[in-house]
Amino acid sequence: MSEKLSKAMEFANYRSTLNNQRAILKARVESLLSYSIAGGTFTIDPGLISFVKTLSDSGLETTVLLDIYKNPIQVDVSEFLDEILSRYTEATNDYYAEYSKLSAARSVQKLLDIDDV
Amino acid sequence: MFAHNNSEIDYFRMAYVNTKLIKEHLGVPVCLVTDAHSLEYGESSISVTDIENTFDKIIVKDKDVEFKHRNSKIYRDTIHKQKSLSFYNLNRADAYEISPYDETILLDADYLILSDSLNQCWQSKNPLMMNYHWQDINFNRKFELDRLSSASIAQYWATVVYFKKCDYAEHFFTMCKHVRANYSYYKNLYKWAGSIMRNDFVFSIAGHILSGLRDRAIDQLPFTLYKSFDFDDIDSVLGKNSVRMLLEKHDCHGEYLLAEWRDLDLHIMNKWALNRVSNDMLEFL
Repeated sequence: MSEKLSKAMEFANYRSTLNNQRAILKARVESLLSYSIAGGTFTIDPGLISFVKTLSDSGLETTVLLDIYKNPIQVDVSEFLDEILSRYTEATNDYYAEYSKLSAARSVQKLLDIDDV
Repeated sequence: MFAHNNSEIDYFRMAYVNTKLIKEHLGVPVCLVTDAHSLEYGESSISVTDIENTFDKIIVKDKDVEFKHRNSKIYRDTIHKQKSLSFYNLNRADAYEISPYDETILLDADYLILSDSLNQCWQSKNPLMMNYHWQDINFNRKFELDRLSSASIAQYWATVVYFKKCDYAEHFFTMCKHVRANYSYYKNLYKWAGSIMRNDFVFSIAGHILSGLRDRAIDQLPFTLYKSFDFDDIDSVLGKNSVRMLLEKHDCHGEYLLAEWRDLDLHIMNKWALNRVSNDMLEFL
């Protein structure tokens, strides 16, 4: 195998590993954005945050939200908003940091923090 | 959790390691259902004290010897090794009666708990949850495992099942036992090949019948079921919440992609690999 082809094969392996690590990272972030309370489970996204913020701004103290199963779940609006906002910020900040780290890694060893190779 | 060893796979040890992980990440009591031989082997290879200090309850059930000899499957350890071994999974459908808890998460011993995701299930409004959606952790690969067969119903995975003691769950497990007792009939009715008894199939059919013959009508767990396969391997254990995996490439048998898996639970189908790294995993627990 020529040196050029060998480098191309190495690069292909790096790209496959990078893509898979990105997919794994995304899965981890999605898991962090799942929030269960009072027997219900919610996926935290900007839509949910905006809706609950609207309810909060309108002065509601408690409300009933439909969770991912469409079950009605009663929540305290202010506490719920604080919690989902905090979790969303934390998860996306982590995502950004980890994503940047992956993007900066230029080899399989660096992608996977392998020192002893 | 259920653990019945065969001549090569130490399910009891897998359950022991996984229970340590459960204590670490979930902090809930664990009840193990096993048989006298598996327990005896566990006591000699681990220790009676460690076992007593780890499991909250151990229930010993007799094995159906005829079933044990009849139900065998191919176990693979990457492409390099494969062997037909006894696969004892007969009593999973008895979980409702066996469980001493009001709420239970029924787990395969090889479903590694690397996060606190399962704690989202407690107090759920849903009486029973199990997944039909799943994801390979080599995201480049695509396998057709969504149905019992191409002409059949959607497959639920019995790998992780949440249920609470209630009429609905009781009916579900009664139905499971009925399907189990009439396995050949349902195999012909639901049209799949092979003779091995699979709880995934038993639970899928019970779920289908109990839902009024509707597909995918049982609620899923609030997280994705992630899986690696028996042609993959575990390279190393990186911590109590992470492993480095060798995932077979989608386009090349025997070649692997390295992947670091962290903070998400993972079903590991290569049982030999799990047994190989069990001591490394215990060092973190």
